[in-house]
Amino acid sequence: MLTALWLVPAVGGILCLFAKGRTARYTSAAFAAAVLAYSVWLSVPYGAARGAWGIVEAGPSWIFGIRYHLAVDGLALSLVWLTALLTVVCVALSWRQDFSAGYWSSFMFLEAALMGVFLSRDLFVFYVFWEAVLIPMFFIIGLWGSDGRRHAAMKFFLFTFFGSLFMLVGLLALVTIHHATAGVWTWDMADLAGANPGGRMGLAVFISLVIGFGVKIPLFPLHTWLPDAHTEAPAAGSVMLAGVLLKMGIYGFLRVLIPVFPKLVWDLLPWLGGLACLNIIYGSLCAMQQKDLKRLIAYSSVAHLGFCLLGVLSWTPEGLAGGSLQMLNHGITTGALFMMVGFLYERTHCRGLSDFGELTGRAPWMTFFFGWAVMASVGLPGLNGFVGEFMSLAGMARAIPLMAFVAATGIVLSAAYSLPAYQTVFWASSGAGSASPKVSDLDAREKVLVWVLCGLMLYIGLCPTPLLTVLAPSVAAIVPYGFAP
Amino acid sequence: MRVPLSVYLLFLAPTAALAFAFFLFRPWWPRGTHWPILASCAVVSAASIDLAAKAYTGWGMDAPLGVWMAIGNWDVYFGVRIDGVGSAVLAMVAVVGALIHVYAVGYMREDPGFSRFFLCFHLFYLAMIGMLVSNNFVQFYLFWEGVGLCSYLLIGFWTHKPAARGAALQAFVVNRVGDLAFLIAILILLKSYGDTRFKHVFEQMAYQGAPLLGLVGLLLFVAAASKSAQFPLYFWLPDAMEGPTPVSALMHAATMVTAGIFLLARSWPLISFIPDLPWLIAAVGAVTAVFAGALACFQTDLKRILAYSTVSHLGLMALALGLGRVGAAVLHLIMHGFFKAVLFLCAGNIAHGLGKSAADISEVGGLRRSMPFTLACFAAAAVSLAGVWPFAGFFSKDGIIEAAFDGGPVWTAFALAAASLGAFYISRMLFLVFFGPCAEQGAGPERKPGHPHEAPAQMGMPVAFLAMLALFAGLLAPGIGRLLASGALPEAESLVLAHFSWTVFAAGTAAAGLGFAAAYYLTMVRPGWDWEWRRGHPGLESLVRSDLGWRKVVSAVAALGWRLAEWVGGALDHRTLDGLIESSAPATVSVGGALSLKGGRLNDYLWWILAGTAALLGVALC
Repeated sequence: MLTALWLVPAVGGILCLFAKGRTARYTSAAFAAAVLAYSVWLSVPYGAARGAWGIVEAGPSWIFGIRYHLAVDGLALSLVWLTALLTVVCVALSWRQDFSAGYWSSFMFLEAALMGVFLSRDLFVFYVFWEAVLIPMFFIIGLWGSDGRRHAAMKFFLFTFFGSLFMLVGLLALVTIHHATAGVWTWDMADLAGANPGGRMGLAVFISLVIGFGVKIPLFPLHTWLPDAHTEAPAAGSVMLAGVLLKMGIYGFLRVLIPVFPKLVWDLLPWLGGLACLNIIYGSLCAMQQKDLKRLIAYSSVAHLGFCLLGVLSWTPEGLAGGSLQMLNHGITTGALFMMVGFLYERTHCRGLSDFGELTGRAPWMTFFFGWAVMASVGLPGLNGFVGEFMSLAGMARAIPLMAFVAATGIVLSAAYSLPAYQTVFWASSGAGSASPKVSDLDAREKVLVWVLCGLMLYIGLCPTPLLTVLAPSVAAIVPYGFAP
Repeated sequence: MRVPLSVYLLFLAPTAALAFAFFLFRPWWPRGTHWPILASCAVVSAASIDLAAKAYTGWGMDAPLGVWMAIGNWDVYFGVRIDGVGSAVLAMVAVVGALIHVYAVGYMREDPGFSRFFLCFHLFYLAMIGMLVSNNFVQFYLFWEGVGLCSYLLIGFWTHKPAARGAALQAFVVNRVGDLAFLIAILILLKSYGDTRFKHVFEQMAYQGAPLLGLVGLLLFVAAASKSAQFPLYFWLPDAMEGPTPVSALMHAATMVTAGIFLLARSWPLISFIPDLPWLIAAVGAVTAVFAGALACFQTDLKRILAYSTVSHLGLMALALGLGRVGAAVLHLIMHGFFKAVLFLCAGNIAHGLGKSAADISEVGGLRRSMPFTLACFAAAAVSLAGVWPFAGFFSKDGIIEAAFDGGPVWTAFALAAASLGAFYISRMLFLVFFGPCAEQGAGPERKPGHPHEAPAQMGMPVAFLAMLALFAGLLAPGIGRLLASGALPEAESLVLAHFSWTVFAAGTAAAGLGFAAAYYLTMVRPGWDWEWRRGHPGLESLVRSDLGWRKVVSAVAALGWRLAEWVGGALDHRTLDGLIESSAPATVSVGGALSLKGGRLNDYLWWILAGTAALLGVALC
């Protein structure tokens, strides 16, 4: 049942490759829609199962205890929804662009690999899917990106691959250590949970895994691939990168680091939390002086992911739930922002802040929705960003209050980088050589897409409880590992 | 607990009106956007008066209505609290806000952004109403920030004006500094008590205390100071005049700036629990009152005079609050709402009559003939502001001066000075605008007076109604006093209004008389003298223009922050960190070249493989 979640898009990807011209686009749309429908339907058997691990699918053991083992819990399910939703959004958002079959199939493969990452319970399978994500993304950036795409794609690939190697070594060492102490070969996350490898070796494994996941988050100072990749990727690529790919790092923390190394995570909490705070402040400061809209949003992602990590590290129910929810929120909000920048870019081939101005009269809907998404991104209560940030901070305030207070400065900084940019693009009078005259307002297709995402922002902002209920069992399963008060 | 219909209407009417206006009227009939919104104003006003009447009879409620966020046993609820203080302010905000809505229909009629204006305006109203009936800090924060958002959208309403954009941004960021303080306070409360309902927090605080409670109180005050424009954080408010006049009226009278004082009144049990914090609040309030009052005397823009006047009055409220007279502060909040709304709307009428968006007292004068109705309303509000018996402002200002008398001579001096300054700047404005011969302003023949005329009835009526309130709301003062104390949180005695005292009456009236006489002398007896003097002292003039240098400090701090961001983003992130990483690729290539790794000769590779294996073996064996 779960295999279908990654197999269906993979088949779709292959079909797209063989499809001619426009049919590739229709194929990918059909498959993406089917996956979205299926993933939403999954909530029915998941709800019926009423356990932390609602649906499990496991094969026989292979060599060294490797086993094909997929399962879905609330956390995985919510990220599956996010992936499926954003894939549909990406396909719809590139609808007018005349891309070759490879583009559409790349998105299908990307979805397949991401689904695999979120569903795997076996570290080996997890790693395989993790690496598989790189390949379609590399092509999306490198082939369909803007001017600096080759450099950005190479940087993205080398950087993340560099991180993945640390992760691979860490995972191998982890499994070996576990074999040495427990006497069985296993890659299963459930079996490794609570292993707590200690000593210098344990610390080395821990650090290499932090680097592996940290590159994806991205954790300071491993973040410099992100602005380039986000900026050069096509709009849909940026949506997937920011919307889903960054979450893999936090997901790794939730699935591997916290359950397997509870003691080290707790002991190193001041360091990891400090890095998360640094992410928030440093990312915001960098965002403040960007001249390119996409780079600005990219740096704001660095800051927002700091909130996710902070909540997750707090090890309290509200922090863990808030951090997990913030992953979805960031996916929706930043996805919407990148999408609208994509609309602007599609019309003008400009992304610079000062390339625009005076859009209130010319594109009122875009002004409205962009403002809406910016407000969600700065954490205005009533929209989704606030709920995630607030719960993360509330959790951290129980673990290390000072850290929560430092991180909270992010709300001032986010206003200080987002609003001037918003004003420059939409409100200010346009300068000479402005691209604004080429901007037309959103058409029906674009409006539907933005309405869906903005509607979700409002819904989650005022009524996050259904999602929190989905996340609750996963959170409850993680908390017992904790040493938190 | 049975929830009365009025409570639901407070939320449902504006929400429904906004939805109708946005989805139906805006696309199909943008010029009619105000109809559902005015209907909602009427409903909300009726509902809030109903609630105030209920509260007057001793009824009150404090109940959760629904869950907002919940996980495990951690939860945050939406709830409603109706008590004396809340419903009194609610009724004032609802009625004054509704009248300003009516006024705005006339004022904004010609504006192309008519429908956008009304949507933002009503959202502002909704946010304020929601805040006043919140029963916990997190929900309070939700609407608090909503107020901030709407003020941002409305101050920057004319997006084509650079000054409006700058003022909007400044207001939002300064308010966000206050929001940060508020958020941290909430986090501490949540950590300490696991709940942020006012009632629970104050009960638990009383018998178990908390380690960081002092910090919570201080942070709440910082939040209130940023929203209610207290001294170090006041500067965004005068600049916020860039928005349309109805926005200024709404912000200064009913919404926004009253929020901070209301927050302090709401959390008074907590504030008064912390030693020395009330004293600090009183001190900041006193300084703000006199400082802003003095600056108001030097302003020339009509709306800026009124803005500094608001800051000064907010200082008076904080002073009364800090001295433990919450009732007096809230009463002044209400009375101030009445007369300040009139003053702003009159200023709007004057500017409207002259066909401009803003008017300067050096450009207008002698309007008493062409705008007698506006003169009447303005004069009514001015005497009320000056605290002349028996008008509305007297009753509340009297309470504050009385509190200062009880507090000590220093407080008395500050309160009387602020009262005197208030009388001065408002009568100076009255004389210059309506009576002055326009000669003293020194402007030559290039001055274009336009064709001043009265505003249409639609804009006149709300002003007249508000002016009646500014004159006669004093009659309601005893009733409001009783309302404030009903259904109160602990420490209800702070809400009881003081009794009348002849000493206070005499002192207050003398202070007002002094200000009035000085203004009369400067504007009517020796017209133009002060202008000459100011032209002769450009140094003093620029000092006043920069608010005694404080604005320069603020912009220096902002510039410093910007420079830091530039350094981090440019030098540190882009050039150093990313530069290091970017150069690793060429470095690898050149190292490889140096070691002849890329010669393609198989023998070289084999040697390297051998060396590597040997090294690894060595490590493994050791």
